[in-house]
Amino acid sequence: MIGTAHQIVLPVVLPLLAAFLLPLVGRLHVWPARLLGQIVGVLHLAVVAYLWTLVGGGETIVSALGGFAPPLGIVLYADRLSVLFLLVLSVGILLFWPRREHGGTRADTLTLLLLGGGSGLVLSGDLFNIFVFYEIVAVASYGLAASGGNAAGFGAALRYLLLSALGSALALLGIALVYGAAGTLNLADLSVLAPERLSGPMGLAAFLLLVLGFGVKAELFPVNTWVPEVYTAAPTRVTAILAGVVSKLSMVVILRLLVLIFADPGAQTLLLVLGLAGVIAGELAAFRAPDLNRTFAFSSIAQLGLVAVAFSIPDDLGIAAGIAVAVHHAVVKPGLFVIAGHWTGPIERLGGAARVSRPAAIAFVLLSLSIIGIPPFPGFWVKLLLLGEAFAAVDPVYALAGAVILAATVVEAAYLFRAAALMWEPPEGDNRPPAAFPLARLAPTLVLTLLILLAMGAVSPLGEALEAMAAEVGDAAIYVGNVLPGRI
Amino acid sequence: MSLLDLLLLLSLLTTLYLYAFGNHRNAGHLGMVVYAVATGLVIAMAGPLADGTGAVGSTFAPVMLGHVLSWSMDGLGWFFALLTTGAAFFASWYMSGEWNAEQPNKRIQHGTLALNVFCMLLLLSSGDLLSLFIGWEFVSWAAFLMMTQLGSHAARAAFRYMLYALAGAMAVFAAILIVKAQIGSFAFADLRAAVPALSDGLKWLLFGLFGLGFGVKMAIVPFHLWQAPAYSFTPGASSAFLNAVSARMGLFAILLVLGKLIGFATLSDLALPLIPMDAKTLLMWVAAITMVVPTFIALMQTDARMLLTWHGIGQGGYMLLGVLVATPLGTAAGLMHVLNYASYQMALVLAVFAVIHRTGTADLDELGGLIKRMPFTYLALLMGIIGLAGLPPMNGFVSKWMIYKSLLDTQQPLLLIAAFVGTLGTILSVYKLIHNIFLGQLRAEHQKVGEAPGSMLAPMLILAGIGFATGFFPGLALGVVDVAQAALGVELLPHGLGGVYLATGSLNMIWVVGIMIGAIGFGAFVFYVIGNRRYGVHQFDNYAGGHFLSADIRYHFSHEFYPGLARLIGPWYRGSVVNMENGLMIGLKTAGDLWHGAFRIAYTPFYLLVALAIGLWWAGLDGGF
Amino acid sequence: MVEIANPGMLELVVDLVLMPIVAFVVGLALVLMARRVRAKIERRVGPPFLQPVYDIVKLYSKRTQISHGWMHDVAIMLLLGGFITAEIFLPVPGMSGLAEHGDLLTLIYIMMVPMLGMALGVGDCANPNGSIGISRALTAMLAYDVPYIIAVVGACMVYGTSNLVEIVQIQQAGGPATWGIVTMPLLAIAGLISMHGMLGKEPFEIYIAPAEIATGPMVEMSGKYMGALFVMQCFQLYTVGVLYTTLFLGGGEMWLTFLPKVFAVILVFVAITNLFGRLRTEDVIAWMWKWPTGIALLGLLLVMIDV
Repeated sequence: MIGTAHQIVLPVVLPLLAAFLLPLVGRLHVWPARLLGQIVGVLHLAVVAYLWTLVGGGETIVSALGGFAPPLGIVLYADRLSVLFLLVLSVGILLFWPRREHGGTRADTLTLLLLGGGSGLVLSGDLFNIFVFYEIVAVASYGLAASGGNAAGFGAALRYLLLSALGSALALLGIALVYGAAGTLNLADLSVLAPERLSGPMGLAAFLLLVLGFGVKAELFPVNTWVPEVYTAAPTRVTAILAGVVSKLSMVVILRLLVLIFADPGAQTLLLVLGLAGVIAGELAAFRAPDLNRTFAFSSIAQLGLVAVAFSIPDDLGIAAGIAVAVHHAVVKPGLFVIAGHWTGPIERLGGAARVSRPAAIAFVLLSLSIIGIPPFPGFWVKLLLLGEAFAAVDPVYALAGAVILAATVVEAAYLFRAAALMWEPPEGDNRPPAAFPLARLAPTLVLTLLILLAMGAVSPLGEALEAMAAEVGDAAIYVGNVLPGRI
Repeated sequence: MSLLDLLLLLSLLTTLYLYAFGNHRNAGHLGMVVYAVATGLVIAMAGPLADGTGAVGSTFAPVMLGHVLSWSMDGLGWFFALLTTGAAFFASWYMSGEWNAEQPNKRIQHGTLALNVFCMLLLLSSGDLLSLFIGWEFVSWAAFLMMTQLGSHAARAAFRYMLYALAGAMAVFAAILIVKAQIGSFAFADLRAAVPALSDGLKWLLFGLFGLGFGVKMAIVPFHLWQAPAYSFTPGASSAFLNAVSARMGLFAILLVLGKLIGFATLSDLALPLIPMDAKTLLMWVAAITMVVPTFIALMQTDARMLLTWHGIGQGGYMLLGVLVATPLGTAAGLMHVLNYASYQMALVLAVFAVIHRTGTADLDELGGLIKRMPFTYLALLMGIIGLAGLPPMNGFVSKWMIYKSLLDTQQPLLLIAAFVGTLGTILSVYKLIHNIFLGQLRAEHQKVGEAPGSMLAPMLILAGIGFATGFFPGLALGVVDVAQAALGVELLPHGLGGVYLATGSLNMIWVVGIMIGAIGFGAFVFYVIGNRRYGVHQFDNYAGGHFLSADIRYHFSHEFYPGLARLIGPWYRGSVVNMENGLMIGLKTAGDLWHGAFRIAYTPFYLLVALAIGLWWAGLDGGF
Repeated sequence: MVEIANPGMLELVVDLVLMPIVAFVVGLALVLMARRVRAKIERRVGPPFLQPVYDIVKLYSKRTQISHGWMHDVAIMLLLGGFITAEIFLPVPGMSGLAEHGDLLTLIYIMMVPMLGMALGVGDCANPNGSIGISRALTAMLAYDVPYIIAVVGACMVYGTSNLVEIVQIQQAGGPATWGIVTMPLLAIAGLISMHGMLGKEPFEIYIAPAEIATGPMVEMSGKYMGALFVMQCFQLYTVGVLYTTLFLGGGEMWLTFLPKVFAVILVFVAITNLFGRLRTEDVIAWMWKWPTGIALLGLLLVMIDV
């Protein structure tokens, strides 16, 4: 069913517009600019919530900008998947809105840019716009990564920029290949043409380029080398947003590409291999990470590897599992990064943390349990969904992947609980216990922990919603039918 | 609301209450009342379970992701539930008096005990594979919480436990997911029905994964390293509870999944290639090694707690071996050993902690002569070690005799010899335990030590008394065992109050113990009536090669108690498994370092290039360039 | 469930009273024999016929009766009680006592009770010599019990039962060709060696070693404590002799054929004893775990192939 609500453009346009206005207003006075930014953030959330009421029942909103019908016009496509991730983006950014930072309105502007770009990324219905919004998000990320104002931050951001640019170039190459072969960049159009024009080595090569390109933001192996450095050097809130939200948006794009255009075993295997390599590399590296920030950075890599593995399973439930892992991670990891951002320094120095700030230590344990996948936390049900699919898949290679994931879980528990156990120990030797946690700084973590605890009671409805969503996303015909009625 | 609901709810509320208000001085008494009521509830459930097919269901059955989670307790779970609540009762009793008054973290001790009981009951009443796994994880983490409460090296032991337990749990997880993928259901009945149709390879896989996962909890060799330190450094009654019950959850799960669902008969059809051995025999040999190796490790311990917990691992091997024999006698023997072991091991651990409570140490090189100061604690420990060593008249003898007998009747002499050797090692080691603590010279610093308080003495003496009573009248315990045996679908073992009668040799403990009591009474008569009067002397009035003894002379042979044996078999303790564990850890760390080092931003272009090259080559391959 | 014909009340009471007494008397005779044989080897005259009785009377009536604590006293009761129990479960011609209510395995473990009792009592004496003696004795037990149980298990396999009464019946019914020593010679040899170790005679008497640890377990035993140890020795010789006869020499239907076998077994032990010096503890283990155990395992292997 197609609805054409024009509100669909608001999540993209509002923040971008505000982002342009903000520096101008900020020249006059800083506080109205900041207020404006926050108002837009809240508005964005309101619009997204409204959009959810429109698509929540399974409807879809397709909007052709400028009145040109697809495949010629620019298409924005909102189904439950896109709106869900808009929601994650919106809530995440509101929760980690910049506060009292240097540089006037710069951080606010960049955050708005990220908000708008990210919204565009998930809503866009053609490859070219996806690329454009991806670049906007990228630019905003560089700025934010450097916004800590320290040398390490600038260095990390610069290297991140270089790597990201390399990735973008690859993605562009991939897009070029696709365009060359199919003559269109509209996803729905491509979906129709793909079996004919994009099958074979050509399509696979294009997919490889696109995945490696977009994979930079999605922390996919092997283009995730920027992750530990940037996450350590950037301010906590930026890390939380980048790890928690932005990486997922890229995964959504990759999912769309996989389902709509490259739905063949080769592409799935490629994603599986990259995802699994990410899981192994991430967990092992996290095991030897010296501080919490890096631990969680590597852990994110592993979690996104899980998402990739889940998406690679040729089944709707695999997609459901992938979305579940992504959303779960988007809730849990920012909460952990907040703790890591406050308790920096070597893990060995965590002794006594529980005595200094019990709520933080308890939240750490609860979130860790969930991310390891211990019942009854949501993380367990997520893993059950994912592994159940992996073991049930026809191809035994997925069962093998499941075994690797299970083994990685033990490593994950090892590094998370090494830290957790230390928190309850007295400080070692003459060390002083870590700094006390002001409750205001901990607030986002507490909110997210609460969210996780609440989700425990709603596993079944959430699961059903996910499955319905995955069935919709996994069926390319629905997408094509909605965007190009008449082509099918 | 069924009885099971009531039991679980009671247990849950207790947990919450004790976590909140466990610091109150009456928390231990409250626990006693609650666990007594819980035991009563469990006993009340026995009726419908006795015939082996019945079960008490729970009305709580949430639907999670389309799977209905169900809980219902059958005879097997009932048996272990009785053990759990009973053990908790005694543990709580121990913690109710002076112990409670002096512990800094009593809220945690009471709370974790209640939590463990709740989680165990949940596991024991699981009604499908998924709820079994959830219960399994609950139990593991609850035990972790209990072990980690004291911090420092207790926490390190607990951490190691957690890794082992989680690795085991992941194996179980994989197994149930494979089952789900193969037969499309988590239901016990479906698995049971589908087993004959599964391929041999799949059966091996399930056997391996389940066996590994559940075996880790039982600390079967080579996954035994974690248990002794983890249980030993948990304080007091918690340690006794873990010792008595915790590892039995592994046995429960093995019995349920491998014994009842997959079936030991199925396992004995799984032949290994090349060597004449099947899956069941393989597991029996693992059990045999678990009986022997940890027992001889126990022999070398110098900490009383470690000694006992190492024996606990060995005793688990006996239970597993017994139930794997899978004849009526063997199954009854293994199950009965669970009960017997719980009674004497709890008494032993509690007695050792009473000694620690009074003297501040469990180091076997720093005690001695306490029989003069703590005679009742000595008595509890004495009865306990007689049970642990498996000598008459205690109950440990009965179940061990039944295990030996079942092995003899099924013509497995080598396993029987292994069981005997384990028992011999146990005798050596428990003598060292009691000798070094209670016998010999009383140290000057322990001259003023008092007897353990009544609140601690009572539970351990009653437990030892239970051990004696069920040794005298094994029929009492065998009646309880029948319920579990019926649930397992194994033919019941005919038994009387005094023991079992078999065509190939019988055991009637009423006669054995009765005669023994009479004969010892006669011995007492001879001792007191015949001959000249005896007179007591001070411990320093002793044969000392012409020297006078005084308090500053250490006159107690305790360090390295078996030097001759140690010299001969010492080199056999090569710590191969420890080395394996270390190797694994080092390997993991190296791999971790490797990956960690690989995450350098400067390497990115290289990675990109390689990934592109390989990817494109592979894309070409795939598409057939 | 197998029903056991309970002996009549009177018969049972007679058995309960007679069996320990017979054991004690025969035990005294065995001790006497042992001493006489030793004396002959050493070209001495040897003790008079009633010397063992004199010894016991002397020890019980001595004035020095030192108790080192209540466990020391209880140990003495356990020593006597344990062996009396063992005798009642060990069938002899004409008297099977309660042997049907406990089998060979039970007997083995009942025999360990007095050992444990003694060990505890010695420990209570607070004398390191005693403790060292016990440490060595227990180590020796670990050494000789391994071949011993292999022999016992093998015998149970051959007879198909662990019921001592039946074991005797099987051998009696089949004649000498079915005696254990014929059907399982290797196990019989291993059993002989290990039971020799059990008696604590040379070369396996490191736990007494008078010159080194002042007689070890006996160091603090005076008066009737020592007397009880003496009585224990009588019972021990008897029990071992009868057990070996029952397992490997066909037992006996009547005392006339039975007792000579028992005395012959003990004579073998006594004769061997005087030929050896003393082995060190670790050598005892090494030797016991090598030769008798090896022989026993080989014997068991043959049995397993056969059964």
